[in-house]
Amino acid sequence: MVDFAALRADFPIFATGQQPLHYLDSAASAQKPACVIESISQCYNHDYGPVHRGLYPLAESASEHYEASRRTIAHFINAARPEQIVFTRSATESINLVAQGWAAQYLQPGDEIWVSQMEHHSNFLPWQRVCRKRDARLRIIPLDGEGLIDLEKSKGLFGKKSRLIAVTQVSNVLGTINPIREIIAGAKQRNIPVLVDAAQSVGHMPVDVQDLDCDFLVASAHKMCGPTGIGFLYGKSDRLAETEPLLLGGGMVDEVDIASSSWAEIPARFEAGSPNLAGAVGFATAANYLHGIGLPVIEQRVKDLALLTYEHLSSVGGIQLYGPGPGLDRSGILSFNVDGIHPHDIAHIAAEHGVAIRAGHHCCQPLMQHLGVSSTARASFNLYNNERDIAALLAAILDAKRILGHR
Amino acid sequence: MSNESVYKEVLLDHFHNPRNKGELDAMDTVRRGSNPRCGDEIEVGIACDNGVLETVRFRGRGCSICLASASMMTEYTSGLKLRQARQLIANLQQWFSSSDDAVALNENLAALSTIRQHPARIKCALLAWQALAETLDESEDRNKTGNP
Repeated sequence: MVDFAALRADFPIFATGQQPLHYLDSAASAQKPACVIESISQCYNHDYGPVHRGLYPLAESASEHYEASRRTIAHFINAARPEQIVFTRSATESINLVAQGWAAQYLQPGDEIWVSQMEHHSNFLPWQRVCRKRDARLRIIPLDGEGLIDLEKSKGLFGKKSRLIAVTQVSNVLGTINPIREIIAGAKQRNIPVLVDAAQSVGHMPVDVQDLDCDFLVASAHKMCGPTGIGFLYGKSDRLAETEPLLLGGGMVDEVDIASSSWAEIPARFEAGSPNLAGAVGFATAANYLHGIGLPVIEQRVKDLALLTYEHLSSVGGIQLYGPGPGLDRSGILSFNVDGIHPHDIAHIAAEHGVAIRAGHHCCQPLMQHLGVSSTARASFNLYNNERDIAALLAAILDAKRILGHR
Repeated sequence: MSNESVYKEVLLDHFHNPRNKGELDAMDTVRRGSNPRCGDEIEVGIACDNGVLETVRFRGRGCSICLASASMMTEYTSGLKLRQARQLIANLQQWFSSSDDAVALNENLAALSTIRQHPARIKCALLAWQALAETLDESEDRNKTGNP
């Protein structure tokens, strides 16, 4: 039996931050356990030096800490080799790297890139632009009424013109868990590469890139209790070899000559500039922390909390819930609207109750168009949440109905 | 809920019982303001006579702050000279963009004062006012060129 109250105590913000704090915005960014904060502090206090740039002990140990972090992240998602992990600033940067460094090279006029209707703008806009530049077509995998991907209505997804499928594993709005395995299996038969946006899944559920057999997978640290400013791109070795670096500069070259230059090995060639050592160390600490608790345990806990919230909200009346209905699998993300009340008002009144939720389009305007709304309110859960957070959310919603509902 | 709540009675009254809301057909000049980030969309219409804002009306959708602010605006600008209306708009904009007491908020707009602590919502409160400023611009431009 996992002691979730003790786990909550691992997160200093719940003791030292603004009180009360019912933090239900983890899908935007998760809170940090003390071990992550301390590891960053330890790095700067005791171990800090330039990475891959010095011959003295501090520089050597800094390089070793950085590469050890890469090995930890590789292990965390079961990548075959650490070199398949490229550290970036964010999942967003990782996707842009694949769009501009990989897709832009191979895309021909008339080719197709497929994304789903529920993608975050960061897994939409890079493809929209590269398609426009190359006279290629951006195709959309539609959704059904439950907010599930509708593969049967995606004619051509595995067709001759399909060059890449880029799809999210978990929707940041609907909480839908997509049939990534099925999509990859279909794509493999036609040798179509698949990029998985795992920003809402890595660190929230077990993710195994070898088992998934995806070509690319991206995630960021800050959504999985790690620091801001660091994420990664996982790529199969041959795919990364096909990718051109976007940023040129220090640390990513072998030989630089007036006439021409040659790139360093992978992954260094994608990591121009001084690496984010403290970020990598904090990221690895977060991965170890979550691994120590157990990803299946975290996944179940968060699903239970979201399901409980779903049931409570369903019983209130006048609340529209989006995404998979009862009996269907969903993650710890729940979007809703209250009849006649703007989501910003819901979020504002929630804030006055110490409840932190998100309101807006969640960087998913194509999905909002599908839902026929301009915005939603969203509660999202992580391992530190509990039933009191749900009760506080409900109280806030009832208060919003009292204040702003029809009089 | 704390005393610092933005949902004060005056604001809620304007939200629940909006003044001068609805049809804009009889207005001389209509301008639209929108905030795609939250899906707020407001249309403001004015009817002027001899340099005076005879009528100010609005319609649209938005959050309670946006709609209440629009309603308050119609109430306190109807009957003002164009120059006075501009001053009131400028006062509100300056008050929101400052953080000290160098600018005093017009007392008729006191119900909007707590919104200054919530930068994300200032846009909501100003949306209708910006649309009003545009109607004034358009109305004055038209007068200068002599067209009706």
